[in-house]
Amino acid sequence: MSEAMLTLQDLEVHFPTKGGVVRAVDGVSLSLRQGEILGLVGESGSGKSTVGKAALRLIDPTGGQVLIDGTDITTARLRDLKPVRTKAQLIFQDPHSSMNPRMTIKRIVGEPLIIHTAIRGAELDQTVARLLERVGLPAQFLHRFPHELSGGQKQRVAIARALAVDPDLLILDEPTSALDVSVQAQILEFLKELHAERPRMTSLFISHNLAVVRFLCHRVAVMYLGKIVEEGPVAQVFSNPQHPYTKALLSAVPLPEATRGAGRIQLEGDLPSPVDRAQGCAFHPRCPVARKGLCDTKAPPRVDTGETWARCHLIGETP
Amino acid sequence: MSVLSIKDLSLEFRTFDGVYKAIDRVSIELAQGEALGIVGETGCGKSVLTRAAFGLVPTPPARITGGTVSFLDRDILGLPQNELRAMRGRDVAMIFQDPMTFINPVFKIGTQLIDSIRAQRHVGRREAREIALDMLDKVQLPNPARQMDSYPHQLSGGMRQRILIAMALAAEPKLLIADEPTTALDVTIQAQILDLIAALVEDMGISLIMISHDLGVVAQVCDRIAVMYAGQIVEDAPVSRIFDHPAHPYTKGLLAAVPHPFSPADTLSGIAGALPNLYEPPQGCRFAARCAHASAQCRAADIGFRHIASGHAVACTLFEDEAAHV
Repeated sequence: MSEAMLTLQDLEVHFPTKGGVVRAVDGVSLSLRQGEILGLVGESGSGKSTVGKAALRLIDPTGGQVLIDGTDITTARLRDLKPVRTKAQLIFQDPHSSMNPRMTIKRIVGEPLIIHTAIRGAELDQTVARLLERVGLPAQFLHRFPHELSGGQKQRVAIARALAVDPDLLILDEPTSALDVSVQAQILEFLKELHAERPRMTSLFISHNLAVVRFLCHRVAVMYLGKIVEEGPVAQVFSNPQHPYTKALLSAVPLPEATRGAGRIQLEGDLPSPVDRAQGCAFHPRCPVARKGLCDTKAPPRVDTGETWARCHLIGETP
Repeated sequence: MSVLSIKDLSLEFRTFDGVYKAIDRVSIELAQGEALGIVGETGCGKSVLTRAAFGLVPTPPARITGGTVSFLDRDILGLPQNELRAMRGRDVAMIFQDPMTFINPVFKIGTQLIDSIRAQRHVGRREAREIALDMLDKVQLPNPARQMDSYPHQLSGGMRQRILIAMALAAEPKLLIADEPTTALDVTIQAQILDLIAALVEDMGISLIMISHDLGVVAQVCDRIAVMYAGQIVEDAPVSRIFDHPAHPYTKGLLAAVPHPFSPADTLSGIAGALPNLYEPPQGCRFAARCAHASAQCRAADIGFRHIASGHAVACTLFEDEAAHV
């Protein structure tokens, strides 16, 4: 087995608020091997984006450890993080708000090179042009401004900027959620290609879109209220989900076909606020199979089921 | 009986850059109790179409350049705003993607529901309150009496969308227009809201137009799907035909671009190229520049609809009319 590119060990991000402590991320452990794409899925408020930000210390974790390519960055001083930034890059959902509207595409994509490398002048121009070409944008875009580009084109620029420092780790936070499906398909294909040509490239793909994760990722981790409830290879988790939440989530996906929501597991209520998280299993108030006296009192154990694992009291019991 | 009949509706926007031809000769027939989905990507005109039909697109900058809109056997295009306003809310109701934009943040849910009911029906405050409670119950909001006293910010996105649905259906409209009603919601909540809309329109015998970019969402609720591209409808067919026998290359392209959660493809194909410039739309088929099958015929003249199966029409030169279905 190749070594881990990103390791999260009992990662915790707690935010103190007036209403109480929000346990946005509460003991998340994940390990991404070199070359792997792991999909992190969950609904809004599950803490999936916070995991992505804490993994690069854009938010400081309140507990646990983050290792990037073997280096512990949890306690590193900010100035020592600079070399880490060339190893790991982040891409967001809305490329527009992550770009300075007054910079040309050339400056936007060239900026990481100016910060992290000694490349300047003609060589810089060439490198930027090559990066744009790599993401499928013609050279005339060099002198345009972000507002002149479509959403898909801007997302390509964001990817080109991330690739500028030649990172091994990409953290992609809903990179295609704001795009039309025909454009989303192009970006997903591109990311797949990128992984095929760079064996070291490792991605944490954060998304609420299960179909996209099924297409792109090797493994998937499902988050609910700050904890991972199930993890495993995509094929297994999608065809044979163990946790009741995963089952409900998968059955709720509107399928692009002419069969209507047959066999859908309807979840009661909304995602509760992470401030007043339920006792026992955090999912039990919405769980269709929760058992009184067990699920509402005791935290569920981690149960290994072959290649996957899930956190639920009722796994292995016949429903 | 036809509830809504849009014929050859065209609409353009006058802008500083020129005249933007957003909608081009679009026709839609919606029968009583039918649920129609309008699907298309950003900028295809799907939202503008229904808004324009009910006088919700400001003119200027917009200008309706042709066509007719008949709603409940009444020609409504060019009706004065006060008559349109009386009709909106009472005979036709709309819900949108972001409920917060349509709920006033500083008034209690109950007050807003009662006010909107009283604006549409001649009922007293007490009776309106009864109707409001009944509607909140119908949209399966837990504890309706307590929710009447809450403020919008105290509710989740899914609950707000339920409130909006309650408000829309309280007047027992003939037609509900739902414009991306679940796009801002999580997938488990989306499933709840879609089931709710489908059940309510069926129970109350309301016709539905659901506008979405998501083919999967529309498939859950609608009987028929109209696919729009660059201001025109390119294919109109029953849901099963769209998914099992898509005809138009654009529809096929859309379907090939959507990842499927349970039968994943090895590759997804995007649709190369970009939307045509609608300031100067191309001659003939607007999809021709991105279409693998395009011929000179496609670019020469307008492509009329071919009726290739029962209720299945497509605007593409690859098909011929099937005599049995014209």
